[in-house]
Amino acid sequence: MTPSDSPYLSKPWLPHYGSTIPHTLPTPKALHLAAMAREAAQHYADQTAFTCVMPNGMYGSLSYRQVDEMSDALAHYLRGVCKLAAGDRVAVQMPNCLSYPVALLGILKAGCVAVNTNPLYTPDEMAHQFKDSGAKAIVIVDLFADKLEAILSRTDIQHVLITRVPEFFPPVVQPIVYAVMKYWNRLIPAHGLKATRFPDALAEGRKKGGNALGYTDGVTHDTLALLQYTGGTTGVAKGAMLTHGNLLWNLEQMLGMTRSHIDEGKEVVLTALPLYHIFAFTVNFLTMYRMGARNILVPSPRPIQNLQRALENYKITWLTGVNTLYNALLREEWFTGFPPKHIKAAGGGGAAMHHAVVKHWEDVTGAPLVEGYGLTESSPVACFQPLTSGRRVDTIGIPAPMTDIRLVDDDGHDVALGAPGELLIRGPQVMQGYWQRPEDTAQVLKDGWLYTGDVAVMSPDGTFKIVDRKKDMILVSGFNVYPNEIEDVLTQLDGVMEAAVIGVPDAKTGEAVRAYIVKADDSLTAEAVLAHCRAKLTAYKMPTHIEFRDELPKTPIGKILRKDLRAEVLAALQKKKG
Amino acid sequence: MLSELETKLLGVMMMVIMLGMGASLTFKDFAIALRKPQGVFVGLVCQYGVMPALAFGLATLLKLPPAYAVGLILMGCMPGGTTSNIFTYFSKGDLSLSILMTMGSTLVAIFMVPVTLAFYSQGIEGDWKIPPGNVIQVLFVLLVPTVIGIALRKWNANVGAVVEMIGGLLGVAVILFLMGSWVPRNFQLLLDTGFPVYAASIGLGLFGFALGYALSRLLRQTARRGRTIALETGIQNGPLAVLIVTLSFTGDQQRDVLLLPILYSFFIVLSSSVITIWFRGITTREELSRDQAKIGALAKA
Repeated sequence: MTPSDSPYLSKPWLPHYGSTIPHTLPTPKALHLAAMAREAAQHYADQTAFTCVMPNGMYGSLSYRQVDEMSDALAHYLRGVCKLAAGDRVAVQMPNCLSYPVALLGILKAGCVAVNTNPLYTPDEMAHQFKDSGAKAIVIVDLFADKLEAILSRTDIQHVLITRVPEFFPPVVQPIVYAVMKYWNRLIPAHGLKATRFPDALAEGRKKGGNALGYTDGVTHDTLALLQYTGGTTGVAKGAMLTHGNLLWNLEQMLGMTRSHIDEGKEVVLTALPLYHIFAFTVNFLTMYRMGARNILVPSPRPIQNLQRALENYKITWLTGVNTLYNALLREEWFTGFPPKHIKAAGGGGAAMHHAVVKHWEDVTGAPLVEGYGLTESSPVACFQPLTSGRRVDTIGIPAPMTDIRLVDDDGHDVALGAPGELLIRGPQVMQGYWQRPEDTAQVLKDGWLYTGDVAVMSPDGTFKIVDRKKDMILVSGFNVYPNEIEDVLTQLDGVMEAAVIGVPDAKTGEAVRAYIVKADDSLTAEAVLAHCRAKLTAYKMPTHIEFRDELPKTPIGKILRKDLRAEVLAALQKKKG
Repeated sequence: MLSELETKLLGVMMMVIMLGMGASLTFKDFAIALRKPQGVFVGLVCQYGVMPALAFGLATLLKLPPAYAVGLILMGCMPGGTTSNIFTYFSKGDLSLSILMTMGSTLVAIFMVPVTLAFYSQGIEGDWKIPPGNVIQVLFVLLVPTVIGIALRKWNANVGAVVEMIGGLLGVAVILFLMGSWVPRNFQLLLDTGFPVYAASIGLGLFGFALGYALSRLLRQTARRGRTIALETGIQNGPLAVLIVTLSFTGDQQRDVLLLPILYSFFIVLSSSVITIWFRGITTREELSRDQAKIGALAKA
C-alpha cells in the first residue's frame, strides 16, 4: 500500500468534529508555560485556583494570585539563592497538595526543567531517576524524606526543599492535620536531611527578589519543560522529553475537544489522579488552570472514601479518572445513592474503560464519561471521544485536532481499513525523545511518527478502538486473543469487581488464557464465571484457569499490572522446573 | 457530690461534646445510613435493647441497693458515648459506622431513654426514681448543640473538623475532670464500697462489649463491624448520666446515685483501652493473613 492509498491520512474522522471542534488550531499564543500561567493568574487573580481536601473534609486553598506570587518566589529562590541555571533539572516528588502547583510553576518560571516523580518509588527507582535526569534540586514531601536520605549521595542533588501535605492550610488546621499524620498515623519518618522547609525557601526567594520575567528569556516552544519518566513498569524508566510547545499544544488540543463543555472561570474539577502522572498533569492541572477552574486536589484516592468529602463539599463539574477509580466510586453507596448533581462530564484514560463501567456511570450521574487515549510520550492526549456528536462508547474516539493517526503492520505499512495494526501518532504534542537515550528514541520515533506499541482498528467513520497492547496479546493455537476483550466480558458479570487476563505458556495451545478476578459478591463461583464466558466468547478465547484474588497489582494511578501477574506465573513455572 | 459550679461546668462541657459530635457528621451521612439501615439498626438494638436489660440484670443479680441500681440502670439506658469513636479509630474499626451509631442513639435518646429508664426502674421506690421530665429536658437541650454542630460542618469543613476534635478530646477530659473532682472527696466511700458495685461498674462495659459483638455477628455483620459495634455498645455516655443525676438529686442521695456512673466512666476508659489494643492486633493480623494468603496463592500458581 502506497501512502496515497492510506485510509488514514485523509482523516476520515473529521466529520465527527461537527461544529464544536475546530479542524485546525492556531499556534498557542503563550511563548511558554510560565507565560500561560501568568496570564491565567492575571485574569482570574482573586478566584480560588486550588483546594486540597483531606479525607475528613479539612482543606486549604490558594487563589490564582497566591499561586502566582508563590511560584515567582520559588523561581527567585532557585535562580537567585540556589544559583541554578536555565535548563537545570529540578525534581518534584509529592502527592496532590497545594505545594505541587507552586513548585511546578516555580520551576518553569525559573526557566528550569521539572522532573515529575512518583512519590511511591522505591529508593533505587528514585536514585535511578534523579541520577538519570541530573536533577540538582528537589521539592519533596516529608512523607518520603527518609527514602531520599538513603540515596541522596548517589545523585547530583544539592538543594532539598521539604514540604508537607497540609502546606498552606489555614493556621489552626495545618498543625492538626500535620500532627495527626505524624503522631497518630505515623506517616512522617524522621530524617537527617539537610533541607530547607518549602515556605522558608519561598520567603528567602521573596527577600532575594529579582527579575522573574528574565529567567525565561530565550525559552520557546522548543525548550524542554518536563521530564516525565515512563516505562518503569516494563523496564528501566526513561525520561520522555516534553517541551513547552508539546504541552501548550496538547492543552489547546484538549480544549479544542472539550471547549463546548467548559465555562471559563467557572469549572470545579476533581483531581483524584496524581499530578505526577501525565494525564492529570496536562488535563487537570495545565488545561484547567488556563481555563480559570478551581482544582480540588485529593492527596490520595485510596481508599475511595477519601473522595467522599471532596465530592460532597464542592460542586464538582468535571473529573478525570481511570477505569478502576470510576468502578470503585460506583460501588460506594454514598456515591450512587446521592450522585453529585453538577457534573458536566468526566474523562477517562490511562487504561481501557470498561463498557459496563461507562454505562453505569452515565446512568448514575447523567453526564457523559468520555474516554481518551494517549501516552506519556504524547503529552498525553492523542484521541478523545467527542463530547457532542458521533460518540461511540467502547472506542477511544477520534484523533485530537492537528493529530495524525495511522495503523501499521510489523513492517511499518498501513494496514487495510478494519484490520488491526500498531497505532502511530504524529502531531505537535509528540515528545522530542527519551532523555539521553538515542537508541530507545530511535525505536519509537521514526520519521516524526510515534510508535505506541498499542494495537488498534479503525472503523470506516474514522473512530479508533484499541484492541490491546502489542505485548499483552495472547496467541492461542495461532489465534490472537486480546485480554481487554475478555476482561470486558468478565466485568459485565455482576459478581465481578475487577478482572485481569493474561496469557500463560501452555503445552497444547502455545498460550492459554488465565483470568484473575476480584469478587464483588462472595458467592461468585468459577463455574458461574465460566458459564458466563461460554455464552459470550468463542472457544479459543475461553479462560482455561480462573483465580480469585482480594486485589490485583496496580500502578499508582490504578492501571492493572498484567505484567506482574505474568511474572508471578513465570516465576512459579521456573521454580517447578528448577 | 458536685458543687453547683461543677454541675454548670459539666453542662457546658457536655454541650461542647455534643457540638463536636454533631460536627462529625453531615445530614447526608444520615440519609446514606438510612438507605441501608441494618448497621444503625443493630446499633440501636444493642444500645436500647441489650444494655438496659444487661444493667437491670446485673443490678438484680448483684442485689444492688436502690441508689446504685438506679445509677446502673441509668447508665445502661444512656446513648453511646462519643469516646467510642476515638477508640474505634485507634482499633482500626469502622469509624463511620461508630460515628453513625453514636449519633443515631443520641438522636433517639430523647424518646428511648425515658421509656427504657421507666421500664427497668419500675421496681424501684419513689424517691430514687429519676423524673423522666429531667431526662427529656437534658436531652432536648443537648440536641441544640448537636444540630448546630451538623450545621457547622456543612458551613465550613475546617471549623467542623476542629470542633469535632475538641469535642472528642473533651469527652475524655470530662471523665478525668470527674475523677479529679469526685474521687478525692469520696475516697472513703470508694474504700467502703463492696465488690458488687465494682463488679457492676466494670461488668456493664465488659458484658456490653461481648453481647454487642455476639449480637452483631448473629445479625451477619463482618468481624470488623462486629468489633466496632462491640465498642459502641459497651461504651455509654457516662458524663451525660452524671449530668442527669446531678440535676435530679442533691446531697447524699446524689453522691450515692453518682457512684456507679462515675466508676463506670472510669473503668470504661481502662477496659476500652485494653480492648482497643486487642482489637487493633486482631485487625492487623487479619490484614497480614490476607497478605499471606496472597503470597500463598502466588506460590501455588
